[in-house]
Amino acid sequence: MLLRVLVRAGVLAASLAVSSVVVFGFLAALPGDPARVALGVNATEESVAALRTEFGLDRSLGDQYVDWVGGMITGDPGRSYVSKAEIGPQLADRMQVTLWLVASATLIAVIIALPAGTLMAVRHGRRSGLLLAGLSQLGVAVPAFLAGILLITLFAVRLRWLPSGGWTPPVEDPAMFLRQLTLPALALGVVQGAVLSRYVRSAVIDVLREDYLRTARAKGLTSLRALWRHGLRNAMVPVVTVLGLQLATLLIGAVVVERVFVVPGLGKLLLDAVANRDLLLVQAVVMVLVVAVLVVNFVVDLLYAVLDPRLRHG
Amino acid sequence: MVDPALPTPSSPVVHRGDVAGVGRRHNPSLVAGALLVALVVVVALVSFVWTPYAPSRVDTSSRLLGLSAEHWLGTDKFGRDVASQIMVGARTTIFVGVIAVGVAAVVGVPLGVLAAMGPRWLGQLVMRTSDLVLAFPALLLAIMFGAVYGSSTLTAMVAIGIATIPSFARVTRAGALQVLSREYVLAARVAGRRRLAIAVRHVLPNVSSLVIVQVSVSFAIAVLAEAALSFLGLGTPLTTPSWGRMLQESQELLSVAPRLAVVPGVAIAVAVLGFNLLGDGLRDRYDPKLERAS
Amino acid sequence: MESGLIGSTRVVSGGLAVASLLALAACSAGSSTSPPDGTPPPSGEGSDEALVLGLVAEPASLDFTQDAGAAIPQALLVNVYEGLVKLGQDGEIEPALATEWAVSDDGLTYTFDLVENAVFTNGEPMTADDVVFSIERVQTEWAGSLARAMDVVESAEATSPTQVVVTLTQPSNNWLYNMTTRIGAIFSQSGIDDLASTPIGTGPYELAQWNRGDSIELTGNEDYWGEAPYFSEVTLRYFDDPTALNSALLTGTIDVITTVQAPEGLAQFEGNEDLQIIEGTTNGEVVLSFNHRSAPFQDLQVRQAVRQAIDRQALVDTCWAGRGELIGSMVPPTDPWYEDLTDVAPYDPDESRRLLEAAGQTDLTLRLRLPSLPYATSCGQVVASQLEDVGITIEVDTLEFPAQWLAQVFQPPNDYDMSIVAHVEPRDVPPLFGDPTYYLGYDNPEVVQQLADADAGTVDEQVTIMQDVARTLSEDAAADWLFLLPNLVVADADITGLPENAIGEALDLTLLARS
Repeated sequence: MLLRVLVRAGVLAASLAVSSVVVFGFLAALPGDPARVALGVNATEESVAALRTEFGLDRSLGDQYVDWVGGMITGDPGRSYVSKAEIGPQLADRMQVTLWLVASATLIAVIIALPAGTLMAVRHGRRSGLLLAGLSQLGVAVPAFLAGILLITLFAVRLRWLPSGGWTPPVEDPAMFLRQLTLPALALGVVQGAVLSRYVRSAVIDVLREDYLRTARAKGLTSLRALWRHGLRNAMVPVVTVLGLQLATLLIGAVVVERVFVVPGLGKLLLDAVANRDLLLVQAVVMVLVVAVLVVNFVVDLLYAVLDPRLRHG
Repeated sequence: MVDPALPTPSSPVVHRGDVAGVGRRHNPSLVAGALLVALVVVVALVSFVWTPYAPSRVDTSSRLLGLSAEHWLGTDKFGRDVASQIMVGARTTIFVGVIAVGVAAVVGVPLGVLAAMGPRWLGQLVMRTSDLVLAFPALLLAIMFGAVYGSSTLTAMVAIGIATIPSFARVTRAGALQVLSREYVLAARVAGRRRLAIAVRHVLPNVSSLVIVQVSVSFAIAVLAEAALSFLGLGTPLTTPSWGRMLQESQELLSVAPRLAVVPGVAIAVAVLGFNLLGDGLRDRYDPKLERAS
Repeated sequence: MESGLIGSTRVVSGGLAVASLLALAACSAGSSTSPPDGTPPPSGEGSDEALVLGLVAEPASLDFTQDAGAAIPQALLVNVYEGLVKLGQDGEIEPALATEWAVSDDGLTYTFDLVENAVFTNGEPMTADDVVFSIERVQTEWAGSLARAMDVVESAEATSPTQVVVTLTQPSNNWLYNMTTRIGAIFSQSGIDDLASTPIGTGPYELAQWNRGDSIELTGNEDYWGEAPYFSEVTLRYFDDPTALNSALLTGTIDVITTVQAPEGLAQFEGNEDLQIIEGTTNGEVVLSFNHRSAPFQDLQVRQAVRQAIDRQALVDTCWAGRGELIGSMVPPTDPWYEDLTDVAPYDPDESRRLLEAAGQTDLTLRLRLPSLPYATSCGQVVASQLEDVGITIEVDTLEFPAQWLAQVFQPPNDYDMSIVAHVEPRDVPPLFGDPTYYLGYDNPEVVQQLADADAGTVDEQVTIMQDVARTLSEDAAADWLFLLPNLVVADADITGLPENAIGEALDLTLLARS
């Protein structure tokens, strides 16, 4: 088991290293001079040269890469060429926001998916099960930003119950924070919930067919109770796996949802940075997103092995 | 969006095990999915030959009209016919999907076969690289490509394509491994048949069903990705109608003409739903065959 | 007068700076001149109230000495930084940090008497040395062609702690006006370490916090030398999405939309008793530029043909919900030399086709390269369609704003035939049409000479000459002016002091109060 963990950790490290090279190399391939692009229109030659020296752009690519990676690891990704501001604090601020969004969306997704998926499984073949299944198919087909627009139209514009966007830190005004979080989290969460519910359904169906559950049912427990007592842990395995693997999708869904609801998270930071040609910032944000996904995948991998020893091979 | 790496759960089909003696006859997903996909494809094809109006034709005297006989789905704020735009938008959707999924399949399937049939280290390498690519979702790759090369239909297609390769590689490898363990394949190897011949004659035909299912599923993802990119302004250029951009343009008019958001929204949902259902239906159709064979 | 006046690089980001520029008013700064007509100044001591304004296009940095973006002075000028003079609602130059000034007869020497008790937010008192420092810094440290407006200054001298004498190399009508814009901002000699994030000024507000990507929070400056403004806390909230901006007002997230960027959405505000809608003018001319370096546009007939192919009223109605005045040249109605020149090139597609034939250009293809700004992508589609109606093939593409558009259209090699962008700076004829190196590439030595004469002449001469220049530009089809961006403000009904027209560069928060 330990060997397994070590091997996986090694793979993680290698993946991180390779991704960093890919991200750095990719953006280094950008045609044009980042200093000139950052300074814009009427920059004089001296100011361009000065900026290049200030940010070390006149060194070799290899040196720049090493510096950048070192900075990322120690938590100091440097300063943006465009805004001259420290990137680190920006990332930290925005990450919090996106984390809130992603976490609450996941919560909503789970709250929707567990009962819905279980119901679909227990009642599959029957009308209510088919209806739910149809709904879940619809949920999967609707992109999160469309859900967001529809939610805004209904709850913000027509009914005026909730704000159409914006962000207040929870410590400042918890009520407003919750109100502003609701619609974007719903937009992301409902769609995720639909996706997740289908996995829950599948997992529960499989579990229901297991012998020991049949025995339990034969003993007189209803499907649901049998499930609850014996099968839940096994049913959770795919759910946890899916949740983790869906993180990449969720993070990206957050990018678009943040645009729709004007939430100042990582997604918005990324899009703004691209528009401003703020390369160092783009690099940093992309790297953060990739690291998050890789680390979560790693954790899920381990959890998977822990949760179901029978599946520990392969 | 459904994660491409995961095997998607099956749709509600009557399972053999539960009701004695009943086979897998009913497959509503397949039918519904096929119908919806066919609808989109037909609309896209028809748009090459005919649309009610030229989709980019600005007509300042016909702005924001509702549904009518002249304009089946009304007009937008420029007086452009919405139905025509939806039809040409279908073209964009299909086109991006075909290219992206095509690229992914053409690269991913051989990779998967290679991973299954080649030396173990190669298999591991392909799988690890797949994992890595999966850390870069389609949208992120498209944003990165856009930042470097400028956003366009091409960068969108390439980005989505690259992001979809891992799912094809994985599915193909899994299927190939299964095939390779079958007796007649083992017999062929013992008899000295060359690997390439085995690959072509035995492996490929048997994984084809898996690949087809994956094509459908990935198409749905591609449609969603393209819509998101167009919505963000990172997809097709202004002059090419696109459902995602129609959605983005409709936002300004939500209080005045919500229909302008509903129509492209429904189009996107129909396309994605269609491909998802088709994929599910196909999987249910092929699944039993695989099970029986093993 | 030198070319490269303020704003030769300041193209609008999202049209926002335009409508969001509230004019500077004299009285609220506590000077001794009479109040402007109309709105009485906010009364006495500030209240403890807060105000939230919605804007588009957040600034990338707070340093307008290096960054040409219009969003920065919009937020900081007059509120955080002050100049010697400021712009009144009626376009008159009014005192700010200078209580009065005198100009010598030959127009070469300006003597400014300064406010005595102004203090910077870093604790340092403002003295004449800071003024000299700031003026000289524009000439030596500022990046971009904005700073060229200060080139006419030969020297600045502190004759006493509260008096500055500025000597020009030649008389200039424009210099004092330009001092009401960003180049006139007075900086503290010890307060320039981190202009990108920490602005130090003498104004009625100081920066409390900058939440990048979201908002700028300003708080009342307790040591302000003048009258405290009504709102002690002001938050400027930036929105990417014009529709989100509209919705934010409806749900009370913001109190004021300083510039409506999705005018179709105005309908949802009309008839709402809790809101007021203000519709005025700005300095933002939406210019359909012709690249004079590009062969077809070197022919006057082609340029005229393009101008006459466009039905500008239909265009405004379609792409900007009918809000926006038609202008015939580069001059907004609020400038002293404004004339209605809309009849110089009227909409006449037949005439347009005739001109194209006469010019031998019946098979013309032109590239229309648009920045990714709402009005540009919207109106660009209408322009393309109308030009196609007269037989010109148009290739449209969108370039990301600011990065790509600046790099490809604005900077050499100026790779475009036509583009659309709003120029929001006040009195920007000279940098656009008096400078052949500008992206337009318009090279007319007579106009250059006239602009110099207008600057150096008397005030009356300036008006006459500029009127002539405006007419020449229109008749010469130097560009086409699609419309003037409107100042569309929507706010809570009880907020007072919102000016009708946006004239200057700054969003003057001191004018605002709640009744």
